[in-house]
Amino acid sequence: MATSPPVAGALRVRGLSCRFGGVQAVSGIDLDVAGGERRAILGPNGAGKTTLFNLLSGEVYPTAGHVEVFGQDVTLTPARKRIKLGLTRTYQTSRLFPRLSVAENIYLAVVGAEGGQLRPLRLHRDDEFEARARQIASRVGLNDRLEVVVASLSHGEQRQLEVALALGGKPKIMMLDEPAAGLSPAERGSLTDLLVSLDPAVTLLVVEHDMDVALRVAQRVTVMHEGRVVADGTPAEIRGNQLVHDLYLGRAYQPPSPSGRGQGGGRSVTD
Amino acid sequence: MLALALVWVLGRAVGLFGASANLSLFIVVTLNGLTLAGLYFIVASGFTLIFGLMRVVNMAHGSLYLLGGYIGLRLVEHRVNYWLALVLAALAIGVVGLLMQQLFLRWNQGQDLRQALITIAISVLLADQMIPTFGAAAVAIKAPDGLSGALRFGLYDIRYPTFRLVVLGLAVLIGVSLWYGIQHTRFGMIIRAGVDDRSMTSALGINVQAVFAVTFFIGALLAGLGGVLGGTMIALAPGQDASFLLSSLVVVIVGGMGSLAGALVGALALGLVAQLSGVYLPAGYTNFSILLTFALLVFVLAVRPTGLFGRR
Amino acid sequence: MKRLRFLGPHREEAVGTLLGWLWLKRVALAGLLVVVLLVPQLFSTFFASSIGVQSLVLGIAAASIIFLNAVVGMVSLAQTALYGVAAYTTAKLAVDLGVDPWLAALVAVGVTVVVALLFGAVASRSGGIYFLMITLASSVITYYFFSQVTAFGSHEGINGVTPPALLGKPFVDPTGMYYGALICSVLIYVLVRYLRRTPFGYALQGVRDESIRMRALGFNVPLLRTAAFAVGAFIAAIGGVLLVWYNSSISPGTIDLTRTIDLLTIAVIGGLGRLEGAWLGALLFTLIQTYSPRYTDRFETLIGLVFLAVVLASPGGIVGISGSLDRWVQRRLAGRKA
Repeated sequence: MATSPPVAGALRVRGLSCRFGGVQAVSGIDLDVAGGERRAILGPNGAGKTTLFNLLSGEVYPTAGHVEVFGQDVTLTPARKRIKLGLTRTYQTSRLFPRLSVAENIYLAVVGAEGGQLRPLRLHRDDEFEARARQIASRVGLNDRLEVVVASLSHGEQRQLEVALALGGKPKIMMLDEPAAGLSPAERGSLTDLLVSLDPAVTLLVVEHDMDVALRVAQRVTVMHEGRVVADGTPAEIRGNQLVHDLYLGRAYQPPSPSGRGQGGGRSVTD
Repeated sequence: MLALALVWVLGRAVGLFGASANLSLFIVVTLNGLTLAGLYFIVASGFTLIFGLMRVVNMAHGSLYLLGGYIGLRLVEHRVNYWLALVLAALAIGVVGLLMQQLFLRWNQGQDLRQALITIAISVLLADQMIPTFGAAAVAIKAPDGLSGALRFGLYDIRYPTFRLVVLGLAVLIGVSLWYGIQHTRFGMIIRAGVDDRSMTSALGINVQAVFAVTFFIGALLAGLGGVLGGTMIALAPGQDASFLLSSLVVVIVGGMGSLAGALVGALALGLVAQLSGVYLPAGYTNFSILLTFALLVFVLAVRPTGLFGRR
Repeated sequence: MKRLRFLGPHREEAVGTLLGWLWLKRVALAGLLVVVLLVPQLFSTFFASSIGVQSLVLGIAAASIIFLNAVVGMVSLAQTALYGVAAYTTAKLAVDLGVDPWLAALVAVGVTVVVALLFGAVASRSGGIYFLMITLASSVITYYFFSQVTAFGSHEGINGVTPPALLGKPFVDPTGMYYGALICSVLIYVLVRYLRRTPFGYALQGVRDESIRMRALGFNVPLLRTAAFAVGAFIAAIGGVLLVWYNSSISPGTIDLTRTIDLLTIAVIGGLGRLEGAWLGALLFTLIQTYSPRYTDRFETLIGLVFLAVVLASPGGIVGISGSLDRWVQRRLAGRKA
């Protein structure tokens, strides 16, 4: 396993475990993610990827281990305080505000990060927040759908809005849980473009089933299975990893051509 | 703080804090609390059973209690044997509950708010129709001969109404039967499974609708049963429905939804707090006794929002 | 005119009908507003006070329920208890302590909001149906409190509460109190509409729809719910003060379980989702309450049946019916395409 420089660590996880009743969802997870790194987390269903995200974002507390974000221990910090450290996330199934418009959704994300949730007055600040919301909407390609209520958006647009909400929080670490779920190939393409074009200083953690998206975006890949990390390395290393193939891809192993980290193309690993 | 309160009460009983020693009063009041708790338990266990399985907050539970009491009253007035009247009234209310569930609640399962509103509407209708039918004056059911007197305890020469002790005994009996039924019978196992995971239970091919119907029947039956007992032990009057809806709510909020053990603990807490505070608060403040009940509620909510034995 | 996209080839005809319908609604609404403004002039003293003032005051109380449900997703049955606290505080201060009515009102509203904050802090961690139960239990407990504590007059309550001179005595000349209640109603309506577009208002709506997401976005959900509950209490308190001035008295009977449910009924009949429904529901309720004794003794049964009918058939209440009519009209127009 290649080691990543631990000094400027954005995320540091040691021995993280979580048990729900009789089910050990994750056990003994170690993770080091550097600032600005693009990390993909792969694994079959039930591997514990979403649980890991929930542990990192604070929706669930671990039964063992600890989590550090930018050097600060956040293991038991309530979810709402983690945004202060620049940690934002999306959800596998969109959690949007159905009766509000696209602009209003993103506005809420901005307010959440900036503070002032109890403010019963509209101030000048709100105009700035709304402007920021519009900018973010443009970035994700929703600038012509600003006033549309979420319930009227297509699935693809809703997934775009999901990402927009994570952007609204001035993120330093973004955790995206299957952002490409249910998207058409064209939509997947624009999503990947978006992720690739993000500010290089932002650390990105992406859980994905879709190898195209994941391997195109990622600099490093962590593979999980049954709650444990089973492999960790560059996309090329992972493509060449026998264990990963057996567990996850279930395809006959073919030695890859020496293409390094590049446009992975289709799902097949034969070139 | 609980410890302080306990010390205060016991102290006053024994003669400290400026009161003359009155241990017999203490015993009587505690017995009052226990017997009342028994009644609360019987009624609240039905309430929590219905919620635990079907997530229906039966706001008409108090009305069912009162209606059961009135039916029992009429039967006893017509010279029906007390115990027979008790059983018949309970069964009648069970049927009423079943009808309510089949007509109004069966087709909108999962819509918690709507169901609560429906049961609230029914409670209003029942309450308003009971007034012209049974009158607005307080009435009591005559206890069966032999049980209407008082029992003598050698201790401090106390005499305590026999019937209240009977109610306590019945509460224990019902509690044990329910517990046994839920823990050791197949039907009870289905109920437990349904409480844990309704959709899964249904997927297993169990006729969930039938289970719901029977459970609602039993829950309502318990309310009606409580009504006859309460009507004998206390009285029947418009307003008792509100009183027993409240007690069921408090018992279940304190004890936890869907938990029989919780209903037991909640009933004990409520019964004892209500009775003891009525007597042992500093003189001049006894009319604030309801605040202690409220304090109990708030305290539990602050510490464990889902109730002592509750879980989501 | 985005609604017209679906109308297809028979556009002109459809446009005409749709415009006609919208115009009709606007005229009806304007007419209604004119009538509302001139009630004391147009109707008898009895009507203006018994129906007019009472509808407005009950509407304010019901608005607190609808606000909490529509904006925050919290169904609270504690609002009756809260307006009872405000009413009793006003009465106690004015009658037993001779405090000036306006000052008494101010203190009463303040006390009610504080009580709500304390209670809300504890209750705000429970959502949905649990919250409903807790607020109901608290409401009944409040009723028992006021009916047992001698300092508040036990079962008789407190009498002889005189409203401030500016508002006058409603059964002699309802003009003052009617316009006072009307102004309060309008202010509350405007306040809530404004609040919806503030960060606080958006945050509350977020809590209503996706409290888990809200946490991840950095919002303090229990705090928001508590604050919302306090706002609801503020609205209810205003209703309570007006109520005690209107009745010149307050007794536990005004806040018992039946009245708690009556207020809920008003909110449901009017439509739990739209604020306007509060006053419409209150008007309907007051009309039934005032005129039904000619036909039946059992007013509560009648109200209960109406309540049941609304809950079973149209969860949107009266205001929901207006929305349903809109959709019906649109569907008819779309149907003309063929």
